[in-house]
Amino acid sequence: MVGALDEGAERVAAGVSNQPQQQLQMRIAGDTNVGKVRTTNEDSMIVDHQLRLYVVLDGMGGANAGDLASQTARDAIGMFVQHQRLTMEPKQLLEAAIQYGSAAVFNAAQQARERHGMGTTCVACMIIDAKRAVVAHVGDSRAYLLRHGRLQSLTRDHTIVEELVDRGVLAADEAERHPYKNVLSRNLGARPETRVDVLELEIKPGDRIMLCSDGLYGYASNDGMQYLLGSGDPPETVARDLIDLALRGGGGDNVSVIVIEAPQPAPTSTQVVRTSGATAWWQHRKRFLQIAKDRGITKNAICRGLKPDEALDLVASSLCEAIFHDLEKSTGVNVWTFAQNIAGGWFERGGQWQPLRDLMDILAVSARACVDDIRKTDAKLGFLLDVAVSRALVVAELALGGLLAERLRHVDHDLIQIHGAMQETIDGELDRHDTEAPERTSSKFIDQATIPFMRPDRPVTNPGVSAELVTAIEKTLTIARGRTSPRAELVKQILESLETIATDPSGQFASAVIAARELYGVRTVDDAGVTQLFDALDAARIITASSVHQASVPDAMRAKVLRAVSSAHQRLVGAMTGLVLEAVSPYSMRLEEAKVATGELRDKVARTERKRAELERKFASTVDQSLPWERRGTTEW
Amino acid sequence: MSTAPPVARAYDLLRPKILQRLLELRSTLDPSLGRLEESTARAQIGAVLDHLGNFIATGDLGLHRAFLHTFMAMRAAEAQGPAAVLAMLVAIGDTAAQVSQEENPAPEGSELTLLLTRVTASTARAVNDLIAEELERRMAQWSELSTKERKGLPPA
Repeated sequence: MVGALDEGAERVAAGVSNQPQQQLQMRIAGDTNVGKVRTTNEDSMIVDHQLRLYVVLDGMGGANAGDLASQTARDAIGMFVQHQRLTMEPKQLLEAAIQYGSAAVFNAAQQARERHGMGTTCVACMIIDAKRAVVAHVGDSRAYLLRHGRLQSLTRDHTIVEELVDRGVLAADEAERHPYKNVLSRNLGARPETRVDVLELEIKPGDRIMLCSDGLYGYASNDGMQYLLGSGDPPETVARDLIDLALRGGGGDNVSVIVIEAPQPAPTSTQVVRTSGATAWWQHRKRFLQIAKDRGITKNAICRGLKPDEALDLVASSLCEAIFHDLEKSTGVNVWTFAQNIAGGWFERGGQWQPLRDLMDILAVSARACVDDIRKTDAKLGFLLDVAVSRALVVAELALGGLLAERLRHVDHDLIQIHGAMQETIDGELDRHDTEAPERTSSKFIDQATIPFMRPDRPVTNPGVSAELVTAIEKTLTIARGRTSPRAELVKQILESLETIATDPSGQFASAVIAARELYGVRTVDDAGVTQLFDALDAARIITASSVHQASVPDAMRAKVLRAVSSAHQRLVGAMTGLVLEAVSPYSMRLEEAKVATGELRDKVARTERKRAELERKFASTVDQSLPWERRGTTEW
Repeated sequence: MSTAPPVARAYDLLRPKILQRLLELRSTLDPSLGRLEESTARAQIGAVLDHLGNFIATGDLGLHRAFLHTFMAMRAAEAQGPAAVLAMLVAIGDTAAQVSQEENPAPEGSELTLLLTRVTASTARAVNDLIAEELERRMAQWSELSTKERKGLPPA
């Protein structure tokens, strides 16, 4: 008796669930076998997708009464659920159905002497919706849950021994060896009513629930059952394999299994990219190469000396493969290596940044064109690939940045060495002529632009400010000043400066530098001074940004004001930073001088040490040659 | 009424979560940020996030470059090399995109995720341009000094 419920195969009437009807999307299968010893199968099962009801019953009693008991209970439970499902909650429904089954077996047993004492176990599962189920049982048929690869029992056997353990009369290890360990304390049919254990279970994606008779777990190990349930095979295969396992373990009893599989969790974005994303990318590799070729990659200076096909293969095809492997493995290592190799080789040959930049642009445009194509056919996949490929291009930029920074470090090092050597030569010349050394600070290398990226002469964007924009900026900053605390004098000063800079028609850095100097004043470079200043700059930025939205100007103008004021703030912060660094530079110089002095002292110490060692050696050899053995004093030999 | 495009508004809404995640991860982003007190780190990372918001709202690459220029100068003054600054900015962008992806898992709602990834790419490129410009300037200095050295002239 095998049944399977595939994706969306079925809907059931409301009443089993108070939730709106929905597709179960569960896969369910059951199987049963008489075993290797018994001649009749006394187990019965319900696999009813319409009722969402799954039950395993294991009958007992002589003269075929066992199979009658399990069949009677099966029919009664099925009928009860069929008729009462619209009137009861699932938990109560299942419990009442099993009670009804018990009464039916008891009544049947009363009708003939040979049926006296017959009964059946029962384990049942009713699926409420995709996320909930009810499990109920009487006797020693069991329900198991496999979650995250781990098998756990959902039921406790109703045996006399188990109940003694529960009451503390027996220890768990004693129970295993107890002669009555299989004697049931409860079953369906011994009495008209029985106690049913019911639990409501939250189902999670990927869960597997297994219902089984003792013919399975009595002849198969927990590890074996866990392995098969977690194999990922379809439920019908798992049910069959579990029965085979019990049969291989002896098959001394009838064996019945039902496997219920909750839908697998939806694949994560990473999984989608690793599988279908990588495949889709690889399928577009010819298109990638074609676009790269059309965009002139073979004419790039880096590819000079290579035949067009070689250039395409070495550069474009390599990146295409690198992206594919990185997509497959969710890493960036291949793209990183590609970028390092290509840029490292180019820089070694004395190459400049611009051709490399152009090359990367061609490759990026080609990649994005492929992704756009994929997006047209599969928007979701295209989006995920877009993010993943953009990320790969960021990785390439990171690798290039690392190489550029390394080159910058080397050049800086060379510059310092050249400058030092030249300065030493000049100092030597001056010493030889016995003249006073010139003012060192004026010829220090630090007077050159030693702090990278500080260029106050740097042009800024968007010179020219219209009269409307000036008015709008003034309005905004008036609002901002009005919102500033009367005690925040520094913030007010900054707002004034921002207005001056933002409305400066030249758009040059000079106004920012002047404003910064005014603000900086006689401030010392102590922590409090600078921190206070930068805190005030930050506060001014926040107040200004919110005031923009309060100014009564058209929306388009508001955007312009935001841009102008942000730019002004940027310039002011840049200029202020320059001043701070300028103030710090004498300390840097002193530090450098201290380093030089320390180096000189270290050299002196080394020279003295060497002299001392020479003297000791000399002294030792003198002693060796001139003194008799007994007068060689404390010299160690 | 806000003039910012919807994606910029979406970013503004997400900004506190991004900031919180970055503060939690700051030690891995940058050791010097890891050593800072939370309030100071909050201010520094907040400045980068504010700027990202402005860039998303305005799309002004010139302003973006200007910010990065200043940011790199400030970090250089703290003895942080340009490669480390680049790595930190990329890590901030990546984290922002990751938070956006988690908050908007459906592709149709995650325009911001893609935008943040592209902003990170633009940032990385702009930083590389700045490093390359600086390198060019230094190479010119190096060339000038080498010539002077050969001729026995003083450096400055």
